[in-house]
Amino acid sequence: MKKVWIAIGVMILLSPLFAYAADMVGYSEPLENAAEELGAEENQDYSGILPDYSVPGLDPHSGTLISGIVGTVITLAVALAIGKGLR
Amino acid sequence: MHIPDGFLDLEIAAIFYVLLIVFVGYSAYKVRKELDESKIPLMGIVAAAIFAAQMLNWPIPGGTSAHFVGGALAGILLGPFAGCLAMTSVLVVQGLVFGDGGITALGANAFNMAVVDVFVGYYTYRLIASKFSVSIAAMVAGWLGITLAAVFAGFELGISHGFLYGLSITIPVMGIWHALLGIVEGVVTSASVSYVASSRPDILEEGVGA
Repeated sequence: MKKVWIAIGVMILLSPLFAYAADMVGYSEPLENAAEELGAEENQDYSGILPDYSVPGLDPHSGTLISGIVGTVITLAVALAIGKGLR
Repeated sequence: MHIPDGFLDLEIAAIFYVLLIVFVGYSAYKVRKELDESKIPLMGIVAAAIFAAQMLNWPIPGGTSAHFVGGALAGILLGPFAGCLAMTSVLVVQGLVFGDGGITALGANAFNMAVVDVFVGYYTYRLIASKFSVSIAAMVAGWLGITLAAVFAGFELGISHGFLYGLSITIPVMGIWHALLGIVEGVVTSASVSYVASSRPDILEEGVGA
């Protein structure tokens, strides 16, 4: 289990690097590429508390890192709460 | 594969919310009845690890990119029902906290990645693992799970009038792209399951309620 936590930590630490690399190649997902070709309009009224894994006002790399930490902790808490709540 | 708001017709979005609730409700019922209490921390860790893994967007030269989805992995490690709940946790946090995937589309997104990917992945794994090695079974399960999840996403988009192209385009576009990207999903799923099989074989043997 300890190794899994280390792996999770490493993935979070690497996430800003991946975000940077993805920006370099003009990253977008197949769904977004298809949508762009079709001229379909995204209509996102709600953009979340940390929109698109960024912290408003903070540089994108620190924002990604903080988003990774916050998101991992919240996801852990939610899944544990569901599991405990059902027992 | 996270569909944003505005692409799906509201009635389509509503139908997939209902379908999601049916699967999540039944999964909660099964987990309540059959999940061993000692599995709960594993549920949390798998959900957290999959969230972290989804943060890593692998850039593919040519302007596309994909991240690991992990539904099949969750299903294999936790069983389909706890796996469905763990993946739903990931999708809900992504949608509500990070705006990744729309709120109206959350039902469809969670249906694709927390139901289709998890159940297809799990049953594919069980079917193949009975005849071939764990690593082959997990590889095919990861690949097929994400490919079919993408086909469902293509279906939801294709039948929506708000999305200009129909089924004959959306399903092949989503399906073929993710069938290619799914090779990575298969390799990561296989490596993860093989590692668990060698270090904690008890986790795989117990397979929560098939």
